[in-house]
Amino acid sequence: MSLLDLKLIRDLRALKSQATAVAIVMACGLAMMIMTRSLIVSLETTRDAYYRDNHFAHIFARLKRAPNSVAAQLAAIPGVATVQTGIALSVTLDLPGVMEPATGLIQSLPEQGELTLNRLHLRAGRILVGRESTGEILAGEAFAQANQLQPGDEMAAVLYGRRQHFRIAGIVLSPEFIFEAPPGSALPNNKTYGVFWMPYKELARASNLDGAFNQLALRLVPGASEPAVIAAVDHILRPYGGRGAYGRASHPSHTRLRDEINILNGLSIGFPLVFLSVAAFMTNAVMSRQITLQREQIAILKAFGFSNGEIGRHYLKFSIVIVASGTALGVLGGVFLGERLVDLYHMFFRFPALNFQLAGTVVVLAVVVSSLAAMVGVAGSVRAAVRLPPAEAMRPEPPSSYRPAVVERLGFGRLFSVTWRMAFRNIERRPVRAALTVGALALATGILIVPNAFRDGIGHVLDYQWDLIQRQTVMVSLIEPSPARTLADFKALPGVILAEPVAGAAVELRAGNQFRRLSITGLPAQAELYRVMDHHGRQITLPPEGIVLSKKLAEVLGVKIGETLFVRGLEGKRVEFSVPVVGLSEDFAGTAAYMEIGALNRHLGEGDRINAAYLTVGAGQWQEFLRAMKASPRAGSVVVKNKIRQGFRETTAQSIGLLQKIYLTFAAVVAFGIVYNSARISLSERQRELATLRVIGFTRGEVATVLVGELVMLTLIALPCGLVIGSGFARVILMTVNTEFVRLPLILTAQNYAFAVLVVATASVVSALLACRRLDQLDLVGVLKARD
Amino acid sequence: MAHAPFTSVDSDLAPVFQARALAKTYGEGDAMVRALAGVDLECRAGELVVVLGASGSGKSTLLNLLGGLDTPTSGSLFYRGWNLGGADEAGLTRYRREAVGFVFQFYNLIPSLTARENVALITEIAADPMTPEAALQLVGLGARMDHFPAQLSGGEQQRVAIARAIAKRPAVLMCDEPTGALDVSTGKAVLEAIERINRELGTLTLIITHNSVMAEMADRVLTLSDGHITGEKHNRTRAAASTLAW
Repeated sequence: MSLLDLKLIRDLRALKSQATAVAIVMACGLAMMIMTRSLIVSLETTRDAYYRDNHFAHIFARLKRAPNSVAAQLAAIPGVATVQTGIALSVTLDLPGVMEPATGLIQSLPEQGELTLNRLHLRAGRILVGRESTGEILAGEAFAQANQLQPGDEMAAVLYGRRQHFRIAGIVLSPEFIFEAPPGSALPNNKTYGVFWMPYKELARASNLDGAFNQLALRLVPGASEPAVIAAVDHILRPYGGRGAYGRASHPSHTRLRDEINILNGLSIGFPLVFLSVAAFMTNAVMSRQITLQREQIAILKAFGFSNGEIGRHYLKFSIVIVASGTALGVLGGVFLGERLVDLYHMFFRFPALNFQLAGTVVVLAVVVSSLAAMVGVAGSVRAAVRLPPAEAMRPEPPSSYRPAVVERLGFGRLFSVTWRMAFRNIERRPVRAALTVGALALATGILIVPNAFRDGIGHVLDYQWDLIQRQTVMVSLIEPSPARTLADFKALPGVILAEPVAGAAVELRAGNQFRRLSITGLPAQAELYRVMDHHGRQITLPPEGIVLSKKLAEVLGVKIGETLFVRGLEGKRVEFSVPVVGLSEDFAGTAAYMEIGALNRHLGEGDRINAAYLTVGAGQWQEFLRAMKASPRAGSVVVKNKIRQGFRETTAQSIGLLQKIYLTFAAVVAFGIVYNSARISLSERQRELATLRVIGFTRGEVATVLVGELVMLTLIALPCGLVIGSGFARVILMTVNTEFVRLPLILTAQNYAFAVLVVATASVVSALLACRRLDQLDLVGVLKARD
Repeated sequence: MAHAPFTSVDSDLAPVFQARALAKTYGEGDAMVRALAGVDLECRAGELVVVLGASGSGKSTLLNLLGGLDTPTSGSLFYRGWNLGGADEAGLTRYRREAVGFVFQFYNLIPSLTARENVALITEIAADPMTPEAALQLVGLGARMDHFPAQLSGGEQQRVAIARAIAKRPAVLMCDEPTGALDVSTGKAVLEAIERINRELGTLTLIITHNSVMAEMADRVLTLSDGHITGEKHNRTRAAASTLAW
């Protein structure tokens, strides 16, 4: 080992706590980068392999009913490789020992062989094949796990008004339900929603669809035009009640996963960048101090004949050691956190196997990025050091010159004690360093705002959706559209206090070239139980003519209030009509269109009919109500609001909780690292000054005030800046969660701000105290003897 | 400390410092160094004492002990009847704060504070200080009070340091090589300031130096070598600082 390397090791030992602080901040950035990038890679590769191996379809469609012979027409469309037709049926489930009903979707298995598209992956039990089995069903894993169902367990479902018992033959996964949730739902609710498969014959009999199908999936040949095939499918299905075919881009499970990856993408760039910039700044501060302290040593080395290159490399090795330990720590941390997050993602996204894959390229990228950050950090000070001629470097640095600070020049100097004036002047003498310290602390504060803004946003959405908009106890959907007088039957059920009708119609809304397919919801003009709200939180009264759209839907279609939308019915009489946009509603999940129920039914021309009802049920008769409901022949599915709400709470609490902990730890580490490092450097630079103060009679506490006064001031400046920066972070990141499927409002509360301030202030105080403990080691006698 | 022992016993006759068999050793075993090997000493108020000695003679150790920067290994040391040798950290800090003024070879001014503020630093924490302006007038720096150290010459910086040391009206002024970093003429100006303080305020003044010329301005000259006092000389008349030459 060369003597310079020996010097490096000994110098590093002396610098160990500061070098560790820098390495840990760097490790936080790298861990976050590796965690998120690897998670993206894991999700994408697992998804692609799953889609490929299990033949995930390219195009999907639902319809009312078409004879099986239509499949041949569909297969003949140019570009179509495979066609799979089948039945899908929404049902209410009845689980033993569970009072509240759950809902689900049952799909058919082919009469011969296994599914050709969207093939199932067997987790437990066995796959049902062919037509021989009866009374057996396959259950999706998420629902089965949430409800602790095993192969062999029994469950009941109300199929087309008939209650039937099934035995679970197997637990399965499907590439169609990686995100196993009702369409439009941003979060899973596995206790109350499940997906199932059963043989075609049995399902066809139960739903009066023998010899027919109501859903299909298509796989395209490579290079086929998706829009052309969709148009052809729609044309063929029109006579059969086709509700419009769609590609993967509109597939609920696929888009939810894609949105998640987009969010991760945002996080994988922004936050690591913040941490690595802070680490670069800290490296620079530590190294420039080190080089200043070693000015004479550098001069001597140069006098002995070491070249600038050798000396430059020697100091660069400092940062290389820091980068190497930061990277090692970051990779370990990233893998550890990534594995925890993968477990969490498994709750939301069901894959045959979602394994954490450490993205090799990411690690290489991380090393390059952090090395660059560190190099940028030291390059300046190393260059300055080697440039100095040896004779000049051997002389001590000229005394630092100061001048009165801005506050004093403005005449406010008298308001401050001498120690505060020292702090002001020190800050002003090194404005760049002060600004960078403020910036780094502000970033630490800002990072803390984001996870709590997420939590508060989700909380707001849940409260908004379930307290302000939907005020029912349950929603009952009917197995088929029924006359309006059916509502009276529901009103008569035990415990029902209020019942309101809901009508729905699958339509295509078109404005110019933009169109969307969705269901218009028909509601009473001033419903009590489902209130359409504007963005001021006021209920919108649905007028006798006109349509109210989700703000997001109006944005997507490019229409404003007063403009006209063209509506084309996708079912029944397939009416076509124009309707003015009369209001915009504020909502956060999916997109919706509302009309007064009478107006909607008038346009559809099918008389007064309802598809569902919202009910409020008195708590006292809840059990009786549920019993009556489960036995009701008309009820297709029953959704209990509080059940869903509770499910949301549990899942979001878990995911937000973990992310919050990660961010909290990282932000505290940054705040700690910054303050500790600044205090240590300040201590080193002002050792003589502080020792002098001790000698002339200042107490340890008074000297500590002088040492940390500057940092207190910088922290005080940084905190409000951090709140502004954090609000900006939250705004930008929440913008990535602004899709047609889910939106999060920006909710910034005083508690959120107070929490961020508290964490950073605490980390600052603790690290400042640690640095102040070093004041005890000040060599009072020694520093007085030596010249600066 | 419940009371203030530094000002309670105040008589010209009682010694300010009383040291018996004062010793200080550093390190242990083979590496043990006896910096001070049993010194007996008394100093009275108003005296100007010059301590001479080569480097390693123990003069700085003596100053550190008398100045409350360090504690003896053995022997006794009393300041006006108060056990300075047995004081704890807080007691030493308070002693330095209230009783001692220090002047160092390299001035040790706070670079971010002006001359006036460097002095004010002390007057803000002292019990009965003079104003910073008065202290600076005493050392002849009334006109440069608002300059920062970097804007002052070495001699001027040292005079600011003296003003800082005496502004609290200390009982003892400790000067460690006060002219060590200065040329002859500025060094003389600094010694004149010290002499004036000693005469006008009656402050016990200890000057530690290896420059034997300064002995002429003292009331008493102590010579240290190898940790012992090897010589003690009383000057019948003190030479004025302005007449010294080296």
